[in-house]
Amino acid sequence: MDKTKLIERAEILVGAVDDLPTIPAVATKVLQMVDDPDASVEEIADMMLTDQVMTARIMKLINSPVYKPAQEITSLRRALVYLGLRHVREIALTTSVISAFDGTTGVLDLKAFWEHSFGVGMVSKIIAKKVGYIDLEKAYIAGIIHDLGEVFLSNFLREPFLEVLDYIKAHPVTLSEAEELLLGTTHSEIGLCMARKWNFPEAYSDIIAHHHNPEAATVDPILCAIVNLSDLFCTVRELNYGGLGWVTFNLNEQVAWSILKEKSPDMARMDVERFCYELDDAIPDVKALVSSIFSTT
Amino acid sequence: MAISDKDFELLRDFIYNICGMYFHTTKKYFLESRLTRRMEATGSATFQDYYQLIKSPRGSVELKFLMDEITTNETYFFRNVPQLAALENKLLPEIVETKNKMGFRKLRIWSAASSSGEEAYTMAMILLEKRATLLKDWIIEIVGTDINETVIAQAKEGVYNAYSVRNIPDVYKRKYIREDNGKFILSPEVKKFVTFNKLNLYEDSKMIFMKSFDFIFCANVLIYFDTASKSKVVQHFYNNLQPYGYFFVGQSESLHGVNDKFKTVHFPGGFGYKK
Repeated sequence: MDKTKLIERAEILVGAVDDLPTIPAVATKVLQMVDDPDASVEEIADMMLTDQVMTARIMKLINSPVYKPAQEITSLRRALVYLGLRHVREIALTTSVISAFDGTTGVLDLKAFWEHSFGVGMVSKIIAKKVGYIDLEKAYIAGIIHDLGEVFLSNFLREPFLEVLDYIKAHPVTLSEAEELLLGTTHSEIGLCMARKWNFPEAYSDIIAHHHNPEAATVDPILCAIVNLSDLFCTVRELNYGGLGWVTFNLNEQVAWSILKEKSPDMARMDVERFCYELDDAIPDVKALVSSIFSTT
Repeated sequence: MAISDKDFELLRDFIYNICGMYFHTTKKYFLESRLTRRMEATGSATFQDYYQLIKSPRGSVELKFLMDEITTNETYFFRNVPQLAALENKLLPEIVETKNKMGFRKLRIWSAASSSGEEAYTMAMILLEKRATLLKDWIIEIVGTDINETVIAQAKEGVYNAYSVRNIPDVYKRKYIREDNGKFILSPEVKKFVTFNKLNLYEDSKMIFMKSFDFIFCANVLIYFDTASKSKVVQHFYNNLQPYGYFFVGQSESLHGVNDKFKTVHFPGGFGYKK
């Protein structure tokens, strides 16, 4: 089916939902302040502190193995200084996305979903480093939010999405193929429509839309290739959800791999085997991070 | 003896670079206990003493002892579940389709370090289950080879202990295994698909006759070879595969830097090498 039709269908589905969660007002305000050269760290911290949930999540994220501060960081102001203001925008965005869907009653196993998402974030960051992609935090955030469309399907198209999940357990097709067949669109287009509604920066919407076909990315094809590969690796290394059918891939046939090798010829010599085994070792960290973000204590 | 994370990583990197086997962090405790035995045996007082020993020119012999300790050298049926699942669900149907198009209905599988036969017979059971469907009217040939004649004799006998058969799914166990006085006897139906021969993987003149395989398995053997021998043996495996065939090593093993012709193919929980 052609891409325009998939997007049209996604727009109808997303548009039909009246109570689509919104990004908290504080997050929007924080995003504006970060872009304002006159805003100080103190002012941004004060604004964030008005949202206790966001503050708690940022503190958990900053002290997680992914950021690895030498000593535990206990004040929000120090966390912001440690991260740098550029990253505050991204962390505010991520924590907001999590909040928007927290506690809702979707059909997806939310814990497994976020484990996959944070896993893809973490692996994207590692691949980004290997490729020499400069903005590692951007890679991390892009990885975390790439499957945003799934949460929508899980929450607002419960019955049809359950059919999709059942279908991939019984048929040798990918999740996207099953979604296209049964819903007339996929989580990539649904995610794109949501990202537009929430005024996400263009770079992120582009990745959400094209993480399964990085060759079509227009804003940042390298980052899109990074997230695509990271998604594949996580899917075959115990960070998948929804009982995905038989995902197998031959690295040499992946467009993303060609894109990255073109950007950084050293990638051709990457020790893919060791990378997979190290990924296995990192899985407990990812699971611990997700548990800590979602725990209420 | 507990070792620090830093020492663990040092040893892990050393073993990985020399042997091509990766030690997962979850196995740190296991590695410590095995390491303690080797340190006692070699009279090494500290980890650093032992590490210096295996790094030294005379350390290659000691490294073999260490690898023996940590690979435990035991085998059992249905050992590498992710690998078997990928083969059954994806790679086998793919090869059957390719061969059907060519009108070539014969499947050849090689267990290249077959030991007492568990791996080869596991394959036989899985393929036997497909005789009525995917592999209807197909000829199946499974070859097991090992350098050790004692284990070949055991493989041919096909009698196992409880440890060996503990992982066999019930559906297979009921059909193909008969228990007799604490011994587990393999059904002749399974045995007839497999032949066992003595073979030294170093012996080029014999290796070139192992032809036209669709799948080759070689687990926990290459880790004992130096890089040059590894490359040579793996090149033989490459040549001995059909153009669309697959090669598998053991869990946690890596062929990185050994052969640049194979392509890695990833599947849930593992990967294999495609010609």
